[in-house]
Amino acid sequence: MKYRRARRIGHSRGGEWGFRDALRAVARDGEGRWLLVGDEQVVVFTSDGEPVRRWATERPGWAAAVDAEGRIWVGEEGRIEVFSPRGRLEDGWQDELFARVTALAVTGDEIFAADVGSRWIHRFDRDRRLLNHLGDRHRKGGFHLPNGVLDFALDVDGTVVVANPGMHRVERYAPDGDLLDRFGAFGQHDPAAFPGCCNPTNLALGPASEVVVSEKAGPRVKVYDRAGGLLAIVAAGADFDPDCKNMDLAVDASGSIGVVDTVGRQVVVFDRVAGPEPAAARGAPG
Amino acid sequence: MSRDYTRRDVLEIGARAVAMAGLGGFGTLLAVKAHAGDAWWIDPDKCINSRLGTAGAETCQSCATECVLTLSAIRAVNEFSKCGRCYVCPAYFDIHSAAGPDGLPSKKLCPRDAIERLPIGWIDPEDPANNFYEYVIDEALCNGCGLCVMGCKEPAGLGSVRLEVNHDVCLDCNRCSISTACPEDAYARLST
Ligand code: SF4
Ligand code: SF4
Ligand code: SF4
Repeated sequence: MKYRRARRIGHSRGGEWGFRDALRAVARDGEGRWLLVGDEQVVVFTSDGEPVRRWATERPGWAAAVDAEGRIWVGEEGRIEVFSPRGRLEDGWQDELFARVTALAVTGDEIFAADVGSRWIHRFDRDRRLLNHLGDRHRKGGFHLPNGVLDFALDVDGTVVVANPGMHRVERYAPDGDLLDRFGAFGQHDPAAFPGCCNPTNLALGPASEVVVSEKAGPRVKVYDRAGGLLAIVAAGADFDPDCKNMDLAVDASGSIGVVDTVGRQVVVFDRVAGPEPAAARGAPG
Repeated sequence: MSRDYTRRDVLEIGARAVAMAGLGGFGTLLAVKAHAGDAWWIDPDKCINSRLGTAGAETCQSCATECVLTLSAIRAVNEFSKCGRCYVCPAYFDIHSAAGPDGLPSKKLCPRDAIERLPIGWIDPEDPANNFYEYVIDEALCNGCGLCVMGCKEPAGLGSVRLEVNHDVCLDCNRCSISTACPEDAYARLST
C-alpha cells in the first residue's frame, strides 16, 4: 500500500477562507466535499479545494460528522450543533455530559459523541436518550488522554475503533461498551509501535476497515490492518511541521487520506497509488 | 449502571478537572510573592526549554552551569494540574534508549536521578500501560539542567515541567550571572 502527497485543501492562515487561530477537525460529506472545522466556523471546500461556503459556530469547533441526510454535526465545548447542508443552524444540543466533544459519529439510529471531560464515548439513540458509555470500564476510569482529544471511528460492522493514546493502543469496542480487541504498544524505534508519551492521537477508518492513525512528536500518519499489522507509513518527517499535534483525519472511498496540518491550518491530502509496499511497512506490530 | 448515576459521575469528574485547571499557573507567582520586592524570575514563554514552537531545539543548560552557587538555585518543578500522569513520561525516561524487558525505555533522562516515579493507586503488575504515575522532582538533587523540561515540552509532552528560581537558596545577586548568560532573554527581574 503506497501513498502520494497530492494537494492541500484550505487557505493559509491569513487567507480569506483560512483559519485565524486553529484548524481542529476535518470530514468529507456525501458529495466528496471537505468540511474544515476550527476557530468558530465551518468552511466547506470542493474535492478539488475550491471554497464553497462557510458559517459560524457558537463555540470553537472540535469535531465534525455528516449524517445520511447530509446534515453537519459539529462537536464543541459543552454543545453539539447540527446544521443543514447549506449551513443553516437546525439544532443546538446542550448536555451536561458534554465537556468538549472531539469526535462524533451519527448513524440512522444512534449518535456517538467522544467527550474529553469524562474521557468516555457517550452513545445515544436518535431521540438523545443515553444508551451507554464506551471506555467507562477502563481501570483508569476512562480512555487516557494526555493530549486533550478523544478520537474514534465506526466500522461497517457496527464496532467502534478508538485511539487510546495514553496506553499506546487502538481498541475495538462493541457498541454496548465491551472491549473486543486491541493492538499497539509503546516503541520509539519500531515504526509499527506508538512512540512518545501518548500516541496515536487521532484515528479514522479506510474503505476496507484499515485503521489510519496520526501521531505527534514527530508527526506521522500510518495505516494498519484490522489486526494491527502495519500496512503503510503515509507521511512522516518533512511532511509536517514538528509542532503539529492532534492531526484529525478523514478518509474517502478511494482511500485518500486528509490530514489536518495544525500548524499550517490546512488539510494535506495523500492519495493511494498502486506500487510496491514500502520496506518500513513490513515490520510486525509492536 | 443507571443514567442518573453515570451523569453524576461525569459531572463530578468534570468539576474536579475544572478545579485542577484553575490552580495551574499560580505556582510561580506565589513563590515570587513570598519574597516581596524584586526577584529573579524565568519567563517560561521565553526560555527555550519550555517555549512552544521550538521542537527539536537543543536543551539550554545555562541555568545549571552559570549560577554562582555550587548547586544552582534553579530547579525544575512539575505542575501537576497540567501533567498527564503518563506511564511513559518523556521527562522521566530517555525515550530513545532501548526498551527493557517490560517494554519501557531502559534509561532515565535525568543525569542526577532527581525525578521520582510514584504509582498512583493500585498497580497492575501485568500491564505497565494500565497505570498512572506522579512524577516528583527532588529539589535537593535537581540542578536545573533543563533536560526534563525539554523532554516534557509540547508536543512531545504536555509542558507541565518548567524551570523556576528557588528563592529559598537564591542569593538574589545584584546582577545574576544566569541573566547575563541567558541566550533567550528569559531571565528577568520581576517586581512584586
Ligand atoms: S541570582 Fe545568583 S544565586 Fe540566584 S540564580 Fe542568579 S546567580 Fe544563582
Ligand atoms: S532539570 Fe535536570 S537535574 Fe533537574 S530534574 Fe530535570 S533533568 Fe533532573
Ligand atoms: S539560561 Fe535562559 S534559556 Fe537557558 S535554561 Fe535558563 S532561562 Fe532557559
